[in-house]
Amino acid sequence: MRKKLSLTPYLFLTPALLVIAIFVLYPIVAVVYYSFTDYDIVTPPQWVGLKNYAQLAQDSTFWLALKNSFIYLIATPTLIVLSILLAIVVNRNLPGIHLFRALYYIPAVSGSIAIGITWRWLFDVNGGLVNGFLIPLGILKEPVQWLAEPAYTLTIAILLTVWAGVGYYAVIFLAGLQNIPEELYDAALIDGCNNFQKHWYVSLPGLRPQIVFVAVISSLAALRVFDEIYILTNRTGGILDSGVTMVFYLWRQAFRLSHAGYASAIAIVLLLITLAFSILNVRLLERGAEAN
Amino acid sequence: MAQTQTISIPAVTGRTRGRTQILEKIFWYLLLCLLSMVTVLPFLWIFLTAFKGPNDAVYSTPPQLIPHDPTLDNFIRVWNQLPIGRFFLNSILVAASTTGLNVLITSLAAYPLAKMNFPGRDAIFYLLLATLIVPVQLTYIPSFILAVKVFQYYDTLLALILPNISSVFSIFLLRQAFKSVPNDLIDAGRIDGASELRIWWEIVMPVIRPSLATVAIFTFVNSWNDFFWPSLMLHTRERMTLSVGLAALQGMFTSDFRGVAAGVTMTVIPILIFFIALQRQFIRGLTGAVKG
Repeated sequence: MRKKLSLTPYLFLTPALLVIAIFVLYPIVAVVYYSFTDYDIVTPPQWVGLKNYAQLAQDSTFWLALKNSFIYLIATPTLIVLSILLAIVVNRNLPGIHLFRALYYIPAVSGSIAIGITWRWLFDVNGGLVNGFLIPLGILKEPVQWLAEPAYTLTIAILLTVWAGVGYYAVIFLAGLQNIPEELYDAALIDGCNNFQKHWYVSLPGLRPQIVFVAVISSLAALRVFDEIYILTNRTGGILDSGVTMVFYLWRQAFRLSHAGYASAIAIVLLLITLAFSILNVRLLERGAEAN
Repeated sequence: MAQTQTISIPAVTGRTRGRTQILEKIFWYLLLCLLSMVTVLPFLWIFLTAFKGPNDAVYSTPPQLIPHDPTLDNFIRVWNQLPIGRFFLNSILVAASTTGLNVLITSLAAYPLAKMNFPGRDAIFYLLLATLIVPVQLTYIPSFILAVKVFQYYDTLLALILPNISSVFSIFLLRQAFKSVPNDLIDAGRIDGASELRIWWEIVMPVIRPSLATVAIFTFVNSWNDFFWPSLMLHTRERMTLSVGLAALQGMFTSDFRGVAAGVTMTVIPILIFFIALQRQFIRGLTGAVKG
């Protein structure tokens, strides 16, 4: 082994680290600084201390956004349950099963804007399929203005996230299922397990790594949701801000109202929540691993 | 497996078993079809609406799905008012150059992190990992200011490419891949006196080709579907990517459902063809990411 300090590894790393330093590390530092300033992007930032944070504490829209972002986390358990069920359904050797798997995956590859627009029209008061089907079936008496009802905005966005994600996460769970040794299922059958028990005692524990992965990825995505809200509410955030989430509020403050300082304070709160959430996630999952 | 089953249910005769098997198959196909309606129906409805003529109802209860008076007028109208071809070209240009550069730069960085010993290696790696927690939208406030004041690439495609030519996720995945390459292979190259650059390019890169494909697909899809940052950067219609252009279309054709449907159809169909052609790689990429 040569002991001479070589420059080679550092040269290999330089391009990547340079890009990350400019577009990730510098922005973190800059956002912390901006969050203590009044900054409209055009004139230089003015130091105001904790003013932005004090203002946030009294900003009812911010609290609403915070609440909405937490509500959005319902998407995670829903996605996990539905994608595991879907994975179990498609995990069988039937002719044409690949075609079906591809069909379930379509929303995931179509892009958030295309599916967002599709959903806007699905829930359209006049021409939408939802009213169009529910009225003849007698479930609704008259057309519902789905996207103009504050009570529905967030629910529709969450449904959209779940609908678009199920096929995607099911692929991950399917790969996990296929890694579970067949002998375990045979043993479960011999022990007298029925179909449900078979999956409860064999599939679920076997899918542990995939559940962890999907829980982390989908909950971080839920905390950062933006595209769905932007398209479904036509950039407004919904009637009475009913669909405003943390990232949507950050976008509105920074890029619609040019309140870069205030938006930076929102960004810092978002960062702290994400951090706390990641630690919590890891803790919970570690505890779950011990219990097993 | 088949043998175990015949032993465990000896009482059932061959004929009834055949019949229950057929019934079971019918049940699964019915379920699969029902489920695929959930993902396919909204798109199918949009596609069919795109072909509806002026005499076809788009606002009717119950909904009319099949166009009686099919026409291509909607496509022509949208094509003439929006540079959809340009959007495609821009999206391809951005996604392809981002992907190419990202794979090159991150594999260059991942190689020493996996296979060389040098001071600061672990510190660099953990610093990179820590940045994965940072919500990317947080970085957009300073990145926006950089784009306008320093790089001056606001409203150009370069603004979409440059920040994404390196990513921690790619480095992480490729580092895992390089770790699985046998050291003997690299040592043989070193004994032959090959430079590290040549070992990287000629010896190890070919070995991890499947992982490179995974990273490439991931980066391409992310770049293709990216919306938040591109929507901040792109203003001139001719410079828009597909996702930004689609959002603009939704704004322009607010009450023209046939037009919006034609626009969505034109953008989604090529993506679906691309997906179906590369389906296997997609799925391998997705499941590979979990293991990584």
